[in-house]
Amino acid sequence: MTTPHGGYAEAPALPDVLPPVKRRGRVGTFVHRHPTIVLGGALVGVMIAIAILAPWLGTVDPTALAPAKRLREPSAQYWFGTDMLGRDIYSRVIYGSRISLLVGFSVALCASAMGTLVGVIAGFIRGLDAVLMRIMDGLMSIPPLLLAIALMALTRASVQNVVIAISVAEFPRVARLIRGVVLSLREQPYVEAAIASGTRVPMIIWRHIIPNTLAPLMVNATFICASAMITEAILSFIGAGTPPTIPSWGNIMAEGRALWEIKPYVVFFPAVFLCITVLAVNLLGDGMRDALDPRLAKRL
Amino acid sequence: MLAYTVRRILTTIPVMLVVAFFVFSLLYIAPGDPAAIIAGDQATPADVERIRASLGLDQPFMVRFGEWLWQILHGNLGTSIFTNLPVAHMIAQRIEPTLSLMVLTIIFSILIAIPLGVVAAWKHGSWIDRCVMLTAVFGFSTPVFVVGYLLAYIFALQLDWLPVQGFTPISDGLWPFLRTLILPTIALGLIYVALLARITRATMLDVLNQDYVRTAKAKGVGQRAILFVHALKNAAVPIITIVGNGVALLIGGAVVTESVFAIPGLGRLTVDAILRRDYPVIQGVVLLFSLTYVLVNLAVDLLYTVFDPRIRY
Repeated sequence: MTTPHGGYAEAPALPDVLPPVKRRGRVGTFVHRHPTIVLGGALVGVMIAIAILAPWLGTVDPTALAPAKRLREPSAQYWFGTDMLGRDIYSRVIYGSRISLLVGFSVALCASAMGTLVGVIAGFIRGLDAVLMRIMDGLMSIPPLLLAIALMALTRASVQNVVIAISVAEFPRVARLIRGVVLSLREQPYVEAAIASGTRVPMIIWRHIIPNTLAPLMVNATFICASAMITEAILSFIGAGTPPTIPSWGNIMAEGRALWEIKPYVVFFPAVFLCITVLAVNLLGDGMRDALDPRLAKRL
Repeated sequence: MLAYTVRRILTTIPVMLVVAFFVFSLLYIAPGDPAAIIAGDQATPADVERIRASLGLDQPFMVRFGEWLWQILHGNLGTSIFTNLPVAHMIAQRIEPTLSLMVLTIIFSILIAIPLGVVAAWKHGSWIDRCVMLTAVFGFSTPVFVVGYLLAYIFALQLDWLPVQGFTPISDGLWPFLRTLILPTIALGLIYVALLARITRATMLDVLNQDYVRTAKAKGVGQRAILFVHALKNAAVPIITIVGNGVALLIGGAVVTESVFAIPGLGRLTVDAILRRDYPVIQGVVLLFSLTYVLVNLAVDLLYTVFDPRIRY
């Protein structure tokens, strides 16, 4: 068929139906895709900065007693007021961030390491699987806070013991998670291939198993960090945590307990800092989980 | 089904054995020598040795564990170091407030969280959904005692609607009983509500994408019937699983809530026991709470078949 032009029919110009593509830089794209990671990460960053820079943030010695100036309301001189021993609550709260973050991060690290060790052993050594998992089931049926309390009752109050107690209470759940991942990884063709080609088990674990457990492990570690900070505050609050001489948020609140009806600010300021920090870590965890497992992103 | 039930009940035995072993080791490695404490300051080393032998404390670890377990199985949880009362007796005295608080919290949380989760899933992406999710994140991020103090400050101190602290037994009337428990229930319930609303929403989102929901819509079933009959029934299994798992959070939270609201329950008993290093009491409470947790989860497992007849064992 021929056309008047002796060639091809000219297509009409297409209307511009697609909206113009908004170009974002790499950072812009990341912020847009993962707002919770950015928000949570930024807040956590601020908290870490506060913890590191504590001595330069207008603080005084957080343990300095000044009985003459006790229970001052928040003012220009004492931003958050003073407690019943005249200590500056602002300084105590700022220094307290060090303890909370230290406990949170240490527990996340310890519990993840212990859980990975047990999980990988249980997942790889069939003979030990049943025994180890029954022990983990037993530990998991003791409510974590009670387990931590019971362990703290055995030992002296110290930051190190708090970290150990909370890690022991948290790690069985990590072990179960990692065991599940390891069991499914074992069936992967590349692991079978590695076994078939005679790779030693430690090498398989190091090269093929561990890297694949990192994503769920990291997400889980974030949530453990958040829950450990709350547990530390609760332990200190009921008098079974960090020694009272160390200003931790839980201790400041524990000291404010007796007077909270008339001087609520003693409890209020550390509580706000604790909530914001835990919220930040939880947001970071949520964001990371969504980013690492897009199937879940729409759901939770 | 019967075979499964029996098998499932039997699996709780090794779990409880691990718990018992752990709890026993707690006393075994606890600092302080019970024989020396009982003997007093005036005792000679020979006296202490004699008391130790009479208590069976010179026996090997496993023998003592066996004897201790035998006593536990007969309801003998030992004697408090501090009050010299039987631990079982002390626990029995304190159980009502804790049980009331936990049962009320579970009922309250289920009644609040499940409708919230359902609506959030139904209006996925709307402001209601965002609010529910935001509340959930806040619920996870606020320690229970902070919520407790905040509620007490607003509703008891400022508005004077409810008592600040204390507990009234149910035998003194239903309203006085409920009045003292409203604030503790809400404080303790927040994290549980967060947990349940989140899992309800997630499960409902899954279920609402299923073919049978589309079929129900196509044949003109009403929105409410789809949500609460077709969808929620199918979302029940993950939800009751979390109800069961969440009891661990609830137990930990109850210990703290009772301290905040001065409720004379097991939580207070635990906290007092820790401050006094009263190990037999700590043991007893940990055992009881763990047993509760294990039994609740056993019940949840057995309930699966009721909620989902497709599950056959």
